[in-house]
Amino acid sequence: MATKKYWKGLEELNNSSEFVQNAQNEFAEQIPVENFSETENLETSGTNRRDFLKFLGFSVTAASLAACETPVNKAIPYVVKPEEIIPGVANWYASTYYDGNDYASIIVKTREGRPIKIEGNDLSKVTMGGTNARVQASVLSLYDSSRLTGPTANGAATSWGNTDLEIGGKLAAIAAKGGAIRILSSSIISPSTKDVIAEFSAKYPTTKHVTYDAVSFSGMSKANAQTFGQEVIPSYNFSNAEVIVSIGADFLANWISPIEFSKQYIKNRKVSKEHAEMSKHFQFESNLSLTGANADERIPVKVSEQGKVAVNLYNAVAKIVGGSSLPSSALACDAIIAKAAKALAENKGRSLVISGSNDTNIQLVVNGINDMLENYGKTIDIENPTYTHQGDDAAFTDLVAEMASGKVDVIITYNTNPVYTSPASLKFAEAFQKVGMRISFADRVDETAALSQYVCPDLNYLESWNDYNPKKAHYSLAQPTITPLFTKPRHEGTRQAQDTLLIWAGNHDGYLSFIQKTWMEKVFPMQGKYMVFSDFWNHSLHDGAIEVGKGDDGALATPVSDSTKVAAPVVVSSAKAKPVKEVKSDITPELIRVIQKINLSDVAQKINSVKSGELELALYEKVAIGNGNQANNPWLQELPDPISKITWDNYVTMSPKEMAAKGYSLMKRQDRKATLLNVTVNGTTIKLPVIPQPGQAEGTMGIALGYGREKAGTLSEKTGVVGKNAYPFVQIIDGTMMYGALSVTVENTNETTSIAGTQIHHTLMGREIVRETNLENYKKNPKSGNADEMMVTHSGIKKAATIDLWNEFDRPGNKWGMTIDLNSCIGCGSCVVSCTAENNVAVVGKAEVMKTREMHWLRIDRYYSSDMNKEVAKEDGVGGMEMYLEMENPAEENPKVVFQPIMCQHCNHAPCENVCPVLATNHSSEGLNMMIYNRCVGTRYCANNCPFKVRRFNWFNYNENPDFALNPTQDDLGRMVLNPDVVVRSRGVMEKCSMCVQRIQEGKLDAKKLEAPLKDGAIKTACQQSCPTNAIYFGDLNDEQSEITLLRNREAEGRNYFILEELGVKPTVSYLTKVRNCEETIEEGKKSSGEHADVKEEKAKA
Amino acid sequence: MDTIYKQPKKQILAKFSLLILSFFLSINSVSAQDGEKIFKQNCAVCHSLGSNPIVGPGLQGVISRVPSEDWMFKWIQNNEALIKSGEAYAVKVSTFSPAAMPSFTSLADGDIKAVIKYIKEYKEPAPVAATAASGATAPVEKPTNPLAILIGVLAFLIIIVAILRAVRYSLKNIQNAKKGLQNEAKVGVWKEFKNTVNAHKRTTALVIIFLLGGGLSSGWYALKGIGVYEGYQPTQPIAFSHKIHAGDNAIDCQYCHSGAERSKTAGIPSVNVCMNCHKGISKGPVTGKTEIAKIYEAAGWDPDKGAYTKPQKPIQWIKVHNLPDFVFFSHQQHVKVGQQDCATCHGDVKTMTTAVQVKPLTMVWCIDCHRATEVPGMQSNPFYEKLHKNLTEKFKNMPYDQRKITVDRMGGIECSKCHY
Repeated sequence: MATKKYWKGLEELNNSSEFVQNAQNEFAEQIPVENFSETENLETSGTNRRDFLKFLGFSVTAASLAACETPVNKAIPYVVKPEEIIPGVANWYASTYYDGNDYASIIVKTREGRPIKIEGNDLSKVTMGGTNARVQASVLSLYDSSRLTGPTANGAATSWGNTDLEIGGKLAAIAAKGGAIRILSSSIISPSTKDVIAEFSAKYPTTKHVTYDAVSFSGMSKANAQTFGQEVIPSYNFSNAEVIVSIGADFLANWISPIEFSKQYIKNRKVSKEHAEMSKHFQFESNLSLTGANADERIPVKVSEQGKVAVNLYNAVAKIVGGSSLPSSALACDAIIAKAAKALAENKGRSLVISGSNDTNIQLVVNGINDMLENYGKTIDIENPTYTHQGDDAAFTDLVAEMASGKVDVIITYNTNPVYTSPASLKFAEAFQKVGMRISFADRVDETAALSQYVCPDLNYLESWNDYNPKKAHYSLAQPTITPLFTKPRHEGTRQAQDTLLIWAGNHDGYLSFIQKTWMEKVFPMQGKYMVFSDFWNHSLHDGAIEVGKGDDGALATPVSDSTKVAAPVVVSSAKAKPVKEVKSDITPELIRVIQKINLSDVAQKINSVKSGELELALYEKVAIGNGNQANNPWLQELPDPISKITWDNYVTMSPKEMAAKGYSLMKRQDRKATLLNVTVNGTTIKLPVIPQPGQAEGTMGIALGYGREKAGTLSEKTGVVGKNAYPFVQIIDGTMMYGALSVTVENTNETTSIAGTQIHHTLMGREIVRETNLENYKKNPKSGNADEMMVTHSGIKKAATIDLWNEFDRPGNKWGMTIDLNSCIGCGSCVVSCTAENNVAVVGKAEVMKTREMHWLRIDRYYSSDMNKEVAKEDGVGGMEMYLEMENPAEENPKVVFQPIMCQHCNHAPCENVCPVLATNHSSEGLNMMIYNRCVGTRYCANNCPFKVRRFNWFNYNENPDFALNPTQDDLGRMVLNPDVVVRSRGVMEKCSMCVQRIQEGKLDAKKLEAPLKDGAIKTACQQSCPTNAIYFGDLNDEQSEITLLRNREAEGRNYFILEELGVKPTVSYLTKVRNCEETIEEGKKSSGEHADVKEEKAKA
Repeated sequence: MDTIYKQPKKQILAKFSLLILSFFLSINSVSAQDGEKIFKQNCAVCHSLGSNPIVGPGLQGVISRVPSEDWMFKWIQNNEALIKSGEAYAVKVSTFSPAAMPSFTSLADGDIKAVIKYIKEYKEPAPVAATAASGATAPVEKPTNPLAILIGVLAFLIIIVAILRAVRYSLKNIQNAKKGLQNEAKVGVWKEFKNTVNAHKRTTALVIIFLLGGGLSSGWYALKGIGVYEGYQPTQPIAFSHKIHAGDNAIDCQYCHSGAERSKTAGIPSVNVCMNCHKGISKGPVTGKTEIAKIYEAAGWDPDKGAYTKPQKPIQWIKVHNLPDFVFFSHQQHVKVGQQDCATCHGDVKTMTTAVQVKPLTMVWCIDCHRATEVPGMQSNPFYEKLHKNLTEKFKNMPYDQRKITVDRMGGIECSKCHY
């Protein structure tokens, strides 16, 4: 039966004896007895048994006597209680997250004035309630004890008064003599901040503002400038695209607006029996990215080939739709390019071609393809650009040259860290130090601030007012959710950068009134819903995000004054607002089609002339760390990479085949012995471990950016610097940053290092838990790929699910259930961080992760699978043995990937409950598997008996043990992020997903108080809320009208399945089969690595 | 049963309106009552009887300050007219506070006379020492140390045994002397004890078993008592008396503990809640000004100037009812949804001078109650509709007295209702 094979890691695929042995053990290593005696080693200790018993007796007596003493707990109420605060009740504020890269409209949960959780804002038309891991984790960055508590001058603390006086005086003097003042920042999408800079520039006329993004999209806006005369990045609409071809664009994780794109992308990929249609997604890329993992067809190509793919795709499309072809060179993947072109051409105006390259030439070709496909105005909206990435590489390079020549007198860096992020070839740090006065607004002494004379620490975004304009016509506000943590009298205090600039410009009104003024003058006239500004302001602040009618160029610089524009349909922020598309009716496709004729032949020539290297490097951003600005956030460092499942490190990814050829360690277990390589690009060398990455294009390697932050904060003091900085490898070619290199030399240092991966932790021993089908089969049979498990009984063959040893239990009230759509899950990890924040999950650090002791209640399993199956083998006439070999090998080169979030399945007949000797885990009448920490004595029987391996044991007191100082709970500030509604677990207890029982209790209580039946959707689990693709459904199965009941009824004879149903544990969590839009038939059957072991044996016999 | 806890949601508002209503009603109905009552109903909100100002000036010696008693009648009945008439003293007094004094047209001259008489005769009560006062209001029995009693009893027994032994010895010797026998040899106490034990082995064994059993059981109960603080009554930083507030003045619990219906914690009132009343009441019946001055200290209020001028200092109350932090108890669930009386768990607070924990707050105490209690509003609350129907169906064949749908039958003793 077994036709398709899934495996979590190469070690599982190869089924090495070591893997099998390790998989048998619940815990990776022996129980660390020596750790419990803190300092002394037992063997060498002078303490004998008698002494031990004496101490024991004494301490027990002392402890019980001490316990008799009533502890004195103080209760200190407010002197004047703020009206809106009721102690014990959370307040929610709408705000906005934007760090110069990710934009998200959010709502912030505060308890007693402390922000403790970030959730997506459903009212936003841009992010539509989605968040990603970085946004989720940003609440912890607020409580970072590495933040500066006041301004510093030449490294010494000073007062704001002195700073303002000194800097103000110097600025005036420099401006008076005509000295150059430069403000260097990441992209600014705040209209008010732009006005602040304008006001500052007015006061000091020699000021120039340069925008520089660590990861730049400059090439794309340059291409658009050439094609359309507008240097912008357009908006995309993936939900309208039936065919998506992405050439190296990781649009689900890092490309332009990943949260928005995830929402859109998945909208067109939700399938049901009634709607068995989904988009078709081709991905050409070098590294196996999150987006590539979700693609229907993924084609590994070398970095140097990406441009050629675009050219060949252009030609293939031109051939179908009729157009002149470009000079091209043949590629190995031309067949699949032709296939993609056919699909694209069949979906003219409903397709999308994008490229992640920052090469203007490639983007020009991609523009050409989209133009041929008539996608402009349909899936690409150039009229309504996105403003989140405005970095101008050329301007930045010019600035560095200007600084190096000593022509710059003052540089102010705001929300950017170029000393860390700039390419080695620019020698930024050197040039920077030639500037007379260097001022940084960094909130900590980061790499750039360390080289600046003045550091004027900015507020965290959760402490500040701000406004944002992420896309044309979309505005949002940020409001403080906490009084600045560092204020007088205890600290000199931090001050918002905008306020600082305003004060230096001589404006003392404060930034809030400045924003209000900007909105009054510029945003207010663009809308027609509110007549009074205060109404408009209050509603905007309440909703967090609004959409207004469009101005001439969308930028705030030109407010809508034209009466006809005001009369035009105005989009309002309410849910009843007209769909965006109707508003766009005034856009004339003709206007867009005024494409300046660019000689694409020349461009193609240039692309074809790119020489491919023997070994090429593709730099990428990880889902968790991104560009590295939150590198001091332990939640993000511990979030496993969705693909490699590695935490706390960056590394070189290489094709396993190539590694074997070069003799590098293929690592039997991922956290053991990775070969260290010296990677050299243009004379810059870094030393990194290399890991085998199935799916990596041969002849390429990948390294993640954002690591190796030496001055990110205290985390690096506690754990050592995490990873190595790969930004120096960024190349500048034709004036734009290239995140890759075509000529890389690697040298085996013959050293090894350990890296912490969770890939094969908590393995299910190769049991079948992933189910997958393809669209063709699904259309024919909605239950394809989801065959019922059958069992032989004395009364014939029966469905496993119908056999039960036990009686059903009563669920008289609510019966909670969760369903996860594997087809919607993109594996982004937002839920994992959300769960960590909601449930006070401990951070354990790299050393413990290596011992499989990570505490995440929710993990996302990543499975690889191959295309080869029995049917294909039969067609191709491949023999049995060869078939199995084929199943491995091509797949290892380019496996299909499935993500499966796994948390406690809340089995109705839970195996864990029966084995607990102290009844610390049992079942509620609402169907929850309850875990009672204060009753748990730590036998760990439950974890051993759990077929899903979702229970986590607290090996240490992570909240107090000094070995785990990296845990935020060990820090007075970090502790403020804890959710007061969830217990902080201590050493020796088991913990696991509670299905956010605190939220369930709260939701029920609210309904009880309102004297109304519980509304479906009123309770959302943390993972469900944070999911950018709405893959997680949660609700009451006893409510016939709830979304989840309807979904399960609809999918009962379709995609719905329970993992390990045949065990009879009756899980509460169900999954929906993944559907892939590809031709390969994925037959009913699935694989198992257990079965595969037999094959190996067979092979051995042969 | 006390019903004040069952008042509807907007009870504070309702209380205020009631207060105002009664205020007007009382004005109309006043006739020949004594001055104290009229003063308390009409004047005390803004005027003290001493010299300190509240909103208006303190009224101590007011009669000697004003031009005439007749002026007082005019001023109280219609001060606006008096000021308009340009009367010099009235104009002067009108500048005392930005808030104009209301006119009390309903007060007859006789009433005002009674008030004046009351003001004249009023003498500040001498503040009573706090300890004496609390002793007087709620006599607390000085608990005697059980160990002392035990030692006393033991010493007493030893003395008795020694005397009896001496008596027996002398009697025996007298008897021996009479019989002409030799005096009994003097036996040491320890030897005699051993002899006795040897002679009565069974009794000794029984005594030992009895003592051991007693020791073990008392040890067991002592261990069970660890962490149970029934009777815990810490001394608070301010000698706040629930008896005066909730008992004598019948202030609703939720006027101060306003979170009880809205949050998991009932909350300790912030100082500004105290100041709602204590802006005007600077002197208590028991402790005089000393304790109320502590509120002023915390709030930063200067009673002489009648303004918040000083820095604020939060009051560090000592928590009386402590639950371990792995227990999530929700007041709103019990007070609002379960309609439980505060006294069920907190005892008769109205009689407590110092708050005391009267219930053990152990899990068995919680569960016993959950096993016995029905949720009062369950049938009328649509939230419970389905659950109620299902449970009624489930238990309908039980004997009548076992059909009660108690909290535990609704899942109210499941672990994760309180532990998560």
